[in-house]
This record gives sequence, C-alpha cells and structure tokens, in this order.
Amino acid sequence: MIKLLRIEFKKIRSYKVFWILISLYFVFLAAGILLAEFMINHMVNNINSRMPIPFPHVAIYYFPDVWQNVTFFASIRYVLIFPAIIMIILIANEFTYKTIRQNVINGMSKTEFLISKLLIILLMAGVMTVILAAGAFFIGLSHSGFNEVDFFSKGVPFMMGFFISLICYMVYAFFCGFILRNTGLAIAIFTLYSLIIEPVIYFFLRAPFMFKNTIYTYLPVNSVIRLTEYPAIPMLKKLMGLNLQDHVSFVACLIPIGYAVIMTGIVFWVMNRKDL
Amino acid sequence: MESILQVDQLSKSFGKIKAVNQLSFKVGKGQVFGILGPNGSGKTTTLSMLLGLIPPDKGEFSWFGQPPSKESRKRIGSVIESPNFFPYLDAVTNLQIVADIKDKPYDDIDEVLQLASLYERRFSKFRTFSFGMRQRLAIASALLGKPEVLILDEPTNGLDPQGIAQIRELIALVASRGTTILLASHLLDEVQKICTYVLVLRNGVMLFSGDVKEVLSVSDSIEMAAADMHLLKTAVPELPGFSSITETDGIIQVHFSSTVKTSEVNAFLYQKGIVLSHLSEKKRSLEQHFLELLQDTP
Ligand SMILES: Nc1ncnc2c1ncn2[C@@H]1O[C@H](COP(=O)(O)OP(=O)(O)OP(=O)(O)O)[C@@H](O)[C@H]1O
Ligand SMILES: [Mg+2]
Repeated sequence: MIKLLRIEFKKIRSYKVFWILISLYFVFLAAGILLAEFMINHMVNNINSRMPIPFPHVAIYYFPDVWQNVTFFASIRYVLIFPAIIMIILIANEFTYKTIRQNVINGMSKTEFLISKLLIILLMAGVMTVILAAGAFFIGLSHSGFNEVDFFSKGVPFMMGFFISLICYMVYAFFCGFILRNTGLAIAIFTLYSLIIEPVIYFFLRAPFMFKNTIYTYLPVNSVIRLTEYPAIPMLKKLMGLNLQDHVSFVACLIPIGYAVIMTGIVFWVMNRKDL
Repeated sequence: MESILQVDQLSKSFGKIKAVNQLSFKVGKGQVFGILGPNGSGKTTTLSMLLGLIPPDKGEFSWFGQPPSKESRKRIGSVIESPNFFPYLDAVTNLQIVADIKDKPYDDIDEVLQLASLYERRFSKFRTFSFGMRQRLAIASALLGKPEVLILDEPTNGLDPQGIAQIRELIALVASRGTTILLASHLLDEVQKICTYVLVLRNGVMLFSGDVKEVLSVSDSIEMAAADMHLLKTAVPELPGFSSITETDGIIQVHFSSTVKTSEVNAFLYQKGIVLSHLSEKKRSLEQHFLELLQDTP
C-alpha cells in the first residue's frame, strides 16, 4: 500500500498540470467562500432598496454554522469539478501514455493499479477536507471570537459529508476517465454532464408542470452536491419555510456511495477482461 | 535444458482475424530466441499475452515453471512496441517508478542509463527525447534490476546505424551473462545476427522453428562456371549431396542438400577434366530461407 502510494506520488510530484489545477481549485474555493457573505448582502441591499421594511444583513461565518456554510460553498458544481478533472487526467493519462500497459508488464497487478488510483482519491479527499476544516475553523474564529459556546457541533458531520462528497464525485470522474480512456473526451463529457445536462434534467424534474416526484434526489451529481442542501442562513428559514439541516443525512449519503460502489465494481470487472 | 517459458496451444482472435493460432513452443534458459514474421503475423499479440496485457482466448503458458503472475513479470524486462513513459517526468524518475514496481533498488539506474548512452540526459524530461533516445530508455528500463529474461519487440526500431550496432552489442553482452532473450522482429538480418533459435510466424501460425545455425547450414549453394558449360552441367549431378541446379548469365548455381566444401567440388571436377573459371560458395541467408518458407506454404 505504501509502495503503491509512493509510486503514485512519483507520478504526480513534478506534474505541473496537477499542481496548477490544485492551486486553481483552492483559489476558487477560497474566493467562493470568502465572497459569499459579501455577495449575499449585496443582493439583500438590492432587495432592500425596493422594500419598505429592510431585511437584516446576513452573517455566515460564525460558529457553529460556519461549518455548514463553508461545506455548502465548497460543494457547488463549479468548485467540485476541479478535483474531478484532476482525477480524470490522472487516470486517462495512463491510457494516453500507455503507462498502464507498462506498469502491468513491469509486474504491477491490474488490481494493484486500480487500488493505487483509489488510494489517491482517498488521500486527496482527506487532504482537501482537512484543509477546508482548518479554513472553516480560522474563519469561524476570526468572526466569532473565543466567547462562543458551540464551536464544533456542526463540524464533524458536515466535514464527514464533504469528505464523502469528494470521494464519490472523484470516483465518478475516475470511472469516466477509465471507460473513455481519452483525457480530452472524458473531461468534455464529464463537465458537460455535471454542469449542463444534469442541471437541465433537474430543472425539468422539479418543474411545476411535472407530477410530484423525488427522482431528482437520485441524480448522481445532484446527490453528491446536495449532501449539504442549503447554507445555514436563518433568514432563508423564515422566508422560504425551509427546514434547515443540522447534520448531513446518512440516508442521503447512501445514494452517491451506491453509485460510487457500482462504478468501482464495473471498473474492476472491465479491467480484468479487456485488452490493455 | 531448464525451461523458462512454455507455451501451449495459445490462441487469440480479434473478431474474424486469428491473430495467434494454436501456438506452442518452449524457451530454454540462456537461449536467444527469435520470433520472426512479416507485419501483422501476431508477434506483438503473442508477447502481449505472455506479459498479461491481453487475456488469451485459449491455451496456456507458464513462466519459470509456474502459472503467470505479477511476480513472474517482475523477473522479466520488456519493451513491447513503443516506449511507454510519462512525458513530463525525467528519465531517472521514470526509471525509479519501474524499479519501485519491480521491487528493485535504485542502484542500477545509473548503470543502465550509461549502457543506453543516456546518462548525460538523465534529468531531461522524457518529452524532450528524440525517437531513438526514447527507444534506448525503454531498453534501459528493461535491463533494470538484472532481469532473468529480456523480451524485446522490434528493439532497433527507429535507431540510427550506430544505435542499432550498439543495441546488438548490448544484447550480445546481456546474453553472454546468461540472460534468456526473446526477440520479436521482422528484420531477418537482425534475427540472424543475434539469435540462436528462431520461430517463424505467419498469420498467427507457426511455420517453422529450429536452430539458426541449422537453418543456415542446410542451405548452401555453390556458383560455378567453366569454358565447357555443357560438360560441367552433366558432371555436376554426380557430386555427393547434389539437389538441384539453376543457371543465370553463363553461371550455374548448384544447390546441395548437405554441406559440401568448395575444395572437394574443385578436386572432383578437375578429375573429370573440367577446369573451372569461376567457383564461389553462397551461404543462403536466413532471408532467402524465410522467403522460401513463406512462399512454399499456401
Ligand atoms: N487491438 C486489436 N484489435 C484488432 N485487431 C488487432 C489488434 N491488435 C492486433 N490486431 C491484429 O492482429 C494481427 C496480428 O497483429 P500483431 O500486432 O500481433 O502483428 P505483429 O506481428 O506484431 O506485426 P508488426 O511486425 O507489424 O509489429 C494483425 O492482423 C492485426 O491487425
Ligand atoms: Mg508488432
């Protein structure tokens, strides 16, 4: 296992594209999270200019809601797509450069090859979650001060949820890159599906003319990003009558986990039957 | 002789094309074994099956007397068709990955890079290598960790004449250390120069297999000319081991089914009163033999 990780690490270490994408991810992530409050309050100002009774400004960076809010903004499609694209590149490159063939010829088993990629997913998801948690903690501290009572109640459940989101979404990407075996094609199809096709399907499934259904909760990408359904903004609760979650639903996690398990199974099945 | 590789009834089809058809052979320890065949005859497909890249439709094979596994592959160094490396990593890192997979230390890396004349470029990215340099790096990686078997598919592809000579020397050196070598090529000259044993493939079927020396020695012919060609032609069939005769431009080519010495031929004809104006021995090259094999069989 350590050996497989060491090999993967060598493959990544001086790969510029990887580090550029990772950096972009963190830039987008930080920008999204840090600008969120400003953007929301900008909207509130706009609304207030046409309203007799002004809404109060929102504050989203205080404990314990900061955990949930940070997770919500880190899970939006446009941010989550970065680690997925990285994963597609890492697997599809192995086919493009035929290094997967060479690894097997040199004495890696096909199973070991797949396990090494799954380990990278786990590791990347782990590191990203820890960084997000650290970020959330510092944002929370700098906004709430030390006199807050409830620091962590939402920390563990939402960070766990984020960890699961990342793993599942990267497994989808891994599946896509493995099946299509072509970096450009896989990125194009995956991005198209995640950012356009599925949102369109979602829109139709929830349109007023549709019969009442819950099919939309089973859409693969939607099920990943909706583990944290809404940001914790008390005003939203009052305005729209939303039931705010105080933890990530375990049952909701089962849907993306189910998809990820099935996809992993298919990948192993194909790997042991198809020519390399 | 201890057998390193045993192949039994190996078959693989791609749709209607029978790429490899009921192929059986054995490679002994220390042999330099050539697989010879025209383009598309199934050489790469055979080697790909032996290295676990393509699952065979039928048939079996064993490495070192055991069913194939990743452990057996770690004892084999191979170059199949094209050099496969990460373009954005330098030569050393690419080789470290190979060493990691094979559970071998990094100690050999400098040595194999020197053998492949790539030591000066060891920190250059693979992407920046020329075609021939890539091929050399592939051979360097195959030599890493002193493998017991070396498998080379068209190893001199794309190399300059100097490079070809170097690789041949390298193969000879490795063979002299007792490494078993399995070499696929469509270059007869290459097989003739390097291999001790040859297997000829066509359309996935084995046409012939045997010792390279035997192939060469049975196929001698001798060219002759004399003032009295008529007399010569009547006398020649009496030579021991005579098989057939052909004539071009006033010179006859006499083929023998067994080896003959030109001195004996000369003495024999002189006794008959024939003075030869031309006498020369023609070793039939493997190429001619190979072409005949391919023509003979439908
Ligand atoms: N992946 C594939 N799909 C379909 N047909 C294939 C595939 N790989 C090989 N073939 C076919 O199998 C046959 C044998 O191919 P192979 O590559 O083994 O030949 P080769 O002896 O290595 O030829 P060359 O000297 O050109 O390298 C050819 O007819 C080829 O078209
Ligand atoms: Mg070939």
